[in-house]
Amino acid sequence: MDELRRSELMEIYKDPSHKGKLFNPSISLQKQHIFCGDNLHLFLQIENNIIKQAKFDGEMCFVSLVSADLVLEQIIGQTVQQARSFNQEKLLALIDLNLSTSRIACATLIMKALHEALDNYSQR
Amino acid sequence: MLDIQKIKADFPIFAHHPELVYLDNAATSHKPQAVLDTLLNFYSSDNSNVHRGIYELSERASQAYEAARARVAEFIGAATSQEIVFTKGTTDSLNLIAQSYALSKLQKGDEVLVTDFEHHSNLLPWRVVCQQTGALLKVLHSQTDGQISQSEWQNQLSSKTKIVAIAHASNVLGMINDIKQIAKLTHQAGALLVVDGAQAVPHLAVNVQDLDCDFYVFSGHKMLGPMGIGVLYAKQDILEEMPPYQVGGGMIESVTSEEVIYDVVPNKFEAGTPNVAGAIALASAMDYLREIGMDEIRAHEISLSKHLLTGLSSIKSVKLLGDAVAVQRSGLVSFFVDGVHAHDLSDYLAKQQIALRAGFHCAMPLHQDRACPATLRASYYLYNQLSDIDSLLVNLQKAIAYYG
Repeated sequence: MDELRRSELMEIYKDPSHKGKLFNPSISLQKQHIFCGDNLHLFLQIENNIIKQAKFDGEMCFVSLVSADLVLEQIIGQTVQQARSFNQEKLLALIDLNLSTSRIACATLIMKALHEALDNYSQR
Repeated sequence: MLDIQKIKADFPIFAHHPELVYLDNAATSHKPQAVLDTLLNFYSSDNSNVHRGIYELSERASQAYEAARARVAEFIGAATSQEIVFTKGTTDSLNLIAQSYALSKLQKGDEVLVTDFEHHSNLLPWRVVCQQTGALLKVLHSQTDGQISQSEWQNQLSSKTKIVAIAHASNVLGMINDIKQIAKLTHQAGALLVVDGAQAVPHLAVNVQDLDCDFYVFSGHKMLGPMGIGVLYAKQDILEEMPPYQVGGGMIESVTSEEVIYDVVPNKFEAGTPNVAGAIALASAMDYLREIGMDEIRAHEISLSKHLLTGLSSIKSVKLLGDAVAVQRSGLVSFFVDGVHAHDLSDYLAKQQIALRAGFHCAMPLHQDRACPATLRASYYLYNQLSDIDSLLVNLQKAIAYYG
């Protein structure tokens, strides 16, 4: 099962839909994974409390990159509150891979960046 | 030539995991049955506290503990067993030197020299003690092969230098440093030399008197011994000058309400109940290594290094971290693959039962200086075979094809 899912995700890894930059984001944020130095740059375009557009960029491993792409796919079109409620449980269900504890930290990098960015946005 | 099948049979981990290709020996080694037996025997038949009771069991434990100290002294060529302090490990030993020797000696204007390839545990204790005393911590920059150039030494070493701290063998670049030469330079400048031997003692015959270093530290668990036991060697006159690091039971001669007289070395540095079983088991690990022969182990590891370096050089996208040749290495190679993340590679290899380390190996500044991403590190020991290296090379190429 894991192998099949992995090859599906490989399609995303090789051609992610949401990788890139936004030039005029409402908020952007960089988050580093201390364990391996991966650096994720998140860009959000928010209008009337709705996430209109989202992109991520950076050098990342398979698990980080695929997670980032899947999460952004989910939250585009959502309200800030809906996106903020995205949690680890939902993330792991979305990835649907058998991840070790250390790889779960790779997966949650995007979630931490998203939460921090939305909190920063709401505090403004 | 080592009889690897015979050696492997001494290590129960391989009976539990017959498919395991263990290439993470720089992190920790496996334990032979003899070492496990020593631990079990101590707790089953000799267990009691040391230096306390006058009953037979306690005397037996004390004797075994002190005999272990003498065997450690002999293994690393110390002049007397008084120069051996048992600690929890390399990190504990380095913190002891920093917080006892360095804290009592360093003043504003003094300098401490470390290299850019030190493990965090031979960097952070110096950073802290420099902050405490106002001394300056300076970093020696290494060349691509990990060597420190003559001019770098001349630029950095001066009469202000009080301590030089360096790894005998780097846990990332793998090269073995010329400690004898570095001791000469250090002493000419009037400083003392601290050597982190964590990646050296398990792999090479070490003689601290020949090296002429002032301090030498290492861990038991990387050399077939248990976790939680390590060694601090220091020349006796230096050790005697040093104030205690921790205070409490087991390290005093007398305590009255007015004054404390501390015990002689090395007891002065072993406050509390020591890891007696660990010390005895470490000595038994040393006996095991000596029986196989440190020179034999060294020759075996050089042949593994050669095989791995040749194999890696034929994979185009692989880049080595440090370009030391096999005979300059202590038994490890770090590398990365252009375009494929180290964690993805190690994940793939783990599924083929190949255990190796991915990340910064507790040397983040080195990775930053060399503008290098997280790396993979293959580190081997006496129980590894050429087929382990082959298995790594074949699966590494499969992993690169998978993610590439």
